[in-house]
Amino acid sequence: MKTQSKLYFYLTISTILLVIIAVWSLNTGVYNFNGASPYKILWEVIKGNENVSLSDKYVIWDVRAARIIMAILIGSMLAVSGTGLQGLFKNPLATGDLIGLTSGATLLAAIAIVLGGYFKQYLPEVIQFSLVGISAFIGAFLSMMLVYRISTSGGKTNVVMMLLTGVAITAIGFSITGFLIYISKDEQLRDLTFWNLGSLAAATWTKNIVLGIVLIISYVILIPKGKALNAMMLGEKDAQHLGINVERLKKQIIVIVALMVGTSVGFSGTIGFVGLIVPYILRLLFKSNYAFILPLSAVCGSVLLLTADTFSRSIVEPSELPIGILTALMGGPIFIAILIKFKKSL
Amino acid sequence: MKKIVLVVSVLLAVYSCKKAEGAKQENTTEAVSSETPKSNNKIVTLSGGITEIVSALGHEKEIVGTDVTSTYPESLKTTAKNLGHVRSITIEPIMAVNPTLILASDKDINPELMGKIKSSGIKAEVFKQEYSVEGTKKLIEQVAKAIGNTDYQKLNDKIDADLKQVQPLAKKPKVLFIYARGNMLMVSGTKTPMDALITLAGGQNAVTEFEDFKPLTPEAVVKANPDVLFFFSSGLEGAGGNEGALKMPGVSQTNAGKNKKIIAMDGGLVSGFGPRVGEAAVGLNKLLIENTK
Repeated sequence: MKTQSKLYFYLTISTILLVIIAVWSLNTGVYNFNGASPYKILWEVIKGNENVSLSDKYVIWDVRAARIIMAILIGSMLAVSGTGLQGLFKNPLATGDLIGLTSGATLLAAIAIVLGGYFKQYLPEVIQFSLVGISAFIGAFLSMMLVYRISTSGGKTNVVMMLLTGVAITAIGFSITGFLIYISKDEQLRDLTFWNLGSLAAATWTKNIVLGIVLIISYVILIPKGKALNAMMLGEKDAQHLGINVERLKKQIIVIVALMVGTSVGFSGTIGFVGLIVPYILRLLFKSNYAFILPLSAVCGSVLLLTADTFSRSIVEPSELPIGILTALMGGPIFIAILIKFKKSL
Repeated sequence: MKKIVLVVSVLLAVYSCKKAEGAKQENTTEAVSSETPKSNNKIVTLSGGITEIVSALGHEKEIVGTDVTSTYPESLKTTAKNLGHVRSITIEPIMAVNPTLILASDKDINPELMGKIKSSGIKAEVFKQEYSVEGTKKLIEQVAKAIGNTDYQKLNDKIDADLKQVQPLAKKPKVLFIYARGNMLMVSGTKTPMDALITLAGGQNAVTEFEDFKPLTPEAVVKANPDVLFFFSSGLEGAGGNEGALKMPGVSQTNAGKNKKIIAMDGGLVSGFGPRVGEAAVGLNKLLIENTK
């Protein structure tokens, strides 16, 4: 019980932090509401006040609020997918972008956009987004299977193999995506910056609903698995003896991580390092206790991405910095720190 | 951990400087705007050519925001907000200048931004832009209609009058347009504004094998064997002037390289295909005549 209440304490603290950042983010931007505060406008919009000007309503609701929610959803899923992968591979370096899941997702999403362009306009919006989302999921899933098959034998993961497989998938994905962008002249394919550095500028409520559904399904299954992942650290045999269905757990993690990474990439491009930074910081605080870092990474991922995105859209007003630049700036040093720390065990 | 603190503090420092700058800029923009606008329109123009048309029709004072390609008229620098590159513009900065009308070209606006503009409820028109004299005239007519101005014939007449000054060249020189941005060298194929302008000015495009822009390869340059190399002024400067251009891969083996025939014109003038298209053609025509003697 004591640990349980400790967990709730930390969850509450980080949620409060997230709310504070969301409030700051809502107030950040170049649009000026004729001197009125954005909070008041948002409140009027929520109340359904008809007197709010269309522009004000649009900026606060369809631009800023939609984008904040998207950052919260995607940041959370990226961080949790990183934590889940690290539990699966029993290694702090396993993240979606390093082992090639994001590249696989990008590649199939890009193919869906190029080929889907021919019949997409006849489909309802939800299906359109799902088309890219589903393709991205398949891409992430296939990459995941490939990496797992190549790098894991007898329940032991060879880290070097894991990372090198990621490098190979990333190289293949990059080249084919680059080629698709090169041949598709009529902007049906968003440019390389989007696929390599990510952006949340295209946030809409429709996308948020899809993301929200994916998040709920994933978390219902994954978040309670903290104790099982702790047991996995002892080794798969011992976990088996503790009554954990190891094979089933592994399959669940693989499918759910692919689902989360896939949908995130389909909507926001490649935003790297979130799945590395967040679990790393949480490990510094709570060691490798997955019962703690799994639920906490869900909230802290949102904190990180929302902060990064708010900076990215306000640092070079009126244009914006691709968000991947900021996350890589934070993630690079942490990646090196992990390498140094685990030099002997890699 | 220390590193994170460092990064965050650097970002914060940059951020606060930006904020301060922003505040300063806002104060200066409000001081300008001497003439009264013709109507209550507040227009955002997202293409150089369209910006020129709106200005030439006498509505320059109504323009509140433009994209990075809108370099002419220069007075817009102080009166309209530069929203950056059209490929990376997001919706909020556009909303921030409170436009009543957004005008863009189908050539360069990205579909995601278009979707956002549509759902914002602001009146927007996206014009099909063709790089030809007829296309320009059509565009002028459409833009004039969009901003409620019927007095556009004089612009078309001026284009015709300008084009009359283009002198035919005895031998059509082969012109290679090189788009230099940093270390990236691209050459213009067909269906680009440069291709159209070269033809208008009495030259011929040295590259006819492909459409649009493609990376320059030494062999292709040698094979095309242009008589004249054509640059944007800014691009030529960035590439190290005439010296730099002559050092570009393959150039030394071509007629243009051997005879050091390198010309440059203002990028906005060349690629706008707006009311100054006649002027641009005459300017290029003069340069071609000088460089083919």
